[in-house]
Amino acid sequence: MIMTHPGLAEWALFTVYFAVMTIGTWFLWQPHGKQKTQTNNRVIGSFVQQPWLLFISRVLFAVLFLLIIYAGLFGTPIAERNIATVLTWNLWWAGLIFSIFFLGSAWCAVCPWDALAGWLVRRRLFKRSKVNNSLNLSVPKWLRSVWPALLFFIGLTWLELGLGVTLDPYNTALISLLMVLLATVSLSIFKRKAFCQYLCPVGRTVGFYAQLSATALRPVDPDLCADCQTLECYHGSDDIEPCPTGLVMGTLAQNTYCTSCGNCTQSCPESNVSWSLRSPSIEAISSARPHWDEAWFMLILLALTAFHGLTMLSFWEDGMNALASYINDSGQLLLSFSSGLIGIIVLIAVIYSALIKIIALLSGKPFKELFTTFAFINLPLAFAYHMAHNLNHLIREGRGLAEIFSNPLGTDALPLSMMEKHERQMTMWFSQDLLAALQAILMIFGFWVAVQVIRHRSVSLNITSRSEFLPMLFYALIITGFNLWMLTQDMIMRM
Amino acid sequence: MRIFLFLFIVSMLSAMISPAYAHHVLGRPSYSLNEDSNTPPSMQIETRIGNYFVTYMVYPAFPKPGEPGRINLYALSIKDNKPFNGKITFEISDDSWFSSATETIGAQVIDDNVYRQGFVVKNKGDYIITARFTADNEPYVIDFPLRVGVPSQFTLPVIIIGAILLVLIIVSLLQRKRLQQQRIRDSHSNTTVK
Repeated sequence: MIMTHPGLAEWALFTVYFAVMTIGTWFLWQPHGKQKTQTNNRVIGSFVQQPWLLFISRVLFAVLFLLIIYAGLFGTPIAERNIATVLTWNLWWAGLIFSIFFLGSAWCAVCPWDALAGWLVRRRLFKRSKVNNSLNLSVPKWLRSVWPALLFFIGLTWLELGLGVTLDPYNTALISLLMVLLATVSLSIFKRKAFCQYLCPVGRTVGFYAQLSATALRPVDPDLCADCQTLECYHGSDDIEPCPTGLVMGTLAQNTYCTSCGNCTQSCPESNVSWSLRSPSIEAISSARPHWDEAWFMLILLALTAFHGLTMLSFWEDGMNALASYINDSGQLLLSFSSGLIGIIVLIAVIYSALIKIIALLSGKPFKELFTTFAFINLPLAFAYHMAHNLNHLIREGRGLAEIFSNPLGTDALPLSMMEKHERQMTMWFSQDLLAALQAILMIFGFWVAVQVIRHRSVSLNITSRSEFLPMLFYALIITGFNLWMLTQDMIMRM
Repeated sequence: MRIFLFLFIVSMLSAMISPAYAHHVLGRPSYSLNEDSNTPPSMQIETRIGNYFVTYMVYPAFPKPGEPGRINLYALSIKDNKPFNGKITFEISDDSWFSSATETIGAQVIDDNVYRQGFVVKNKGDYIITARFTADNEPYVIDFPLRVGVPSQFTLPVIIIGAILLVLIIVSLLQRKRLQQQRIRDSHSNTTVK
C-alpha cells in the first residue's frame, strides 16, 4: 500500500498567490534596487569557535557514520527498521537543508567523510601534522571547477530516486564507504581538500545554498584583514592547517567554497574571524561573483529539486509507464526514469536559456554574461522549494527515532505494518496547518529573494528598461507557480 | 542562560522520541501471523515486462532457512487490465558468484487472480526466483530477488576498505621516497656550498 502526504491547503496556496502578486507588482513599480554592501555584526560568541567543540562534534558524527556503515552491512534489509537508511535519508538528507539556512556550511566542518579521510591521511586527530601521507600535488586545471561535483550530484539523484538507494541499507553503506574512499584518495594526492572543493556533491550543494544562509564566517574588522601581510587564514600556522579550499578571509565575498572548518578563526593572530549574522540574500543579490560552471550548477540544482518533487507525485508512475510503453522499456524502468531526469534538466535549461536570449536581444548584452549573472535567481527558488518539500518528509518520516536507536540494526524487526504507517502519517512533529504556514512562508521567501536578485543584478548589468528584465520576472513566476503546484499535490511517502 | 539552553535541547530531544506502538495488523498481534495469513508482513516488488505489470510478494519478507515461505505473483495485462490466467512456472537459483544451480519449485495456475507458490530453502543466502510463462505466443521470464536469513555480503565493502588501505600504503611509500630524495638533494647542496 502506498501512503501519501496531503498537499498544501487552499488557504496557504491563496496566501502565497496573493503575496507573489503583490511582490511582482511592487517590483514593476520599483524595478531597481539600491546598491547593498555586506555588513557584519559579531553576535555569535566565541563558544562555537572552540576547537574542542569542533573536535567532539567531528568524533560524534564519525561514530554515527561508522554505525551507519555497520548497520547497513550487517543489519536488516528493511529500510524503515535500519538506522543506516533512516538516519541517512530520513533525517540527515532531509534535515541538512534546514541546517544550511541557520548555520551555513557548518555541516562540512563536521562531515565524517572528510574527518575520517583527514585522520587517515594526516595521521593526527587534530592540529597540523608536520609529516603526512599526502603527495600535495596541484589539482589539474581541468578538474578545477564544479562540473565534477555537478555530475556526482546528478549521479546521486539517479541512485537515490532511480535505483532506490534510500530503501536499501546495504547500498547506503556502500555509497558511504565510497565517499570516504574518494575523500581519502583526493586528500592523499592533492593539495588542500580538492574533494570538498571540486568533487563533493553534498559540499557544493551546501556551499551554494549557504549563499542564502543567515550566518557566515567573516572578518570582524575588514580593515585589519586589508592590512594583513601574513595571511594565516590562507597559509595556516604552526599548529593549524591552512584553509582547505584556499580562501583568503579578507577577500571572501561568498560562502560557496567555505567549509566552516574554523581553521581561519583559530589561526588568525588577531582573532579577527568570527561567525556573523547577515542578510540571507546579500550574496545572491550582490556579493557573489558569477561564473559559467557555477551558473550551470545553480540552474541544474533547481531542475533536480523540481525533479525530486515530481517523482513523488502520484501521477509520476503513470507517466513513467506511458513512457516505458512508448520506448519499450521494461523491468525497473531505469531507461524511462533516466529519460525523465534528463528531460527535466533540459527543459528547465531551455526555458532559462531562451528567456536569457530574449534579454540579450533586447539589451544587446552578451548572452554568457546575462546567463551567469541572472543564474543566482535559481538559488532562492530551488532552496525555498527544497526546504518546503523536505519539511513534509521530515515531520512525518522523521518519527520513530527512539525506536531506531534502541535497535539500530533492526534485528528481528518486521516491515512497517499498515497500522504503523498510518500512525506515522497521523502523528506528525507538528500540525498540518503549521506545516502549510511554514511552506507558504518559504515559498514567499524564495520568490522575494528571486525578485531582489533581478532588481540588483539588473543594476549591476546596466539594464534599465523594464521590458529588458521582464523575462526574468516571468521565469521566477513560472518556477514559483510550478513549485507551488507540486506542493499542492498529494506526495508519496518514502517509507 | 545555559540552563535554558539545556532545557531547550532536552525538550527538543524528548519531542523527537515517539511512543512505542504495539505491532498489530488488523487487530491481530504480529506473532500470530505466518506465511499463510492474509496480510502478514511481506516484501513487495513491482515491475513491468512486455504487456504485463507484475507484482511479486514474498511472505514473510525475509524468510529464515528451513522455514516455509510463500510467493504471491500478480500479472496484469496493460492492454485490457485483465489478469493473466495461464500457467506460471517458478524456479529458484543461487545468486552467489560462481554458482549456476537452478531448481524448479513448482508450476501454478491462477487462484483468485493470484499465483501462489510455497517454498522452503535450507541454506541462508541470496537467491533468484524466476517466473516463466507464455502469453500471446511470447515467452516471459522475470527474475526476482529472495533473501533467506542474513547472508554475508563482504565482497564489495572489503574491496573498498582494501582500496583505501592500498592508497594509503602506496602514497606513504611514495612520500617516503620523496623525503629520502629531498634529504639526499639537501645534503648534496650543503656539500657544494661548503
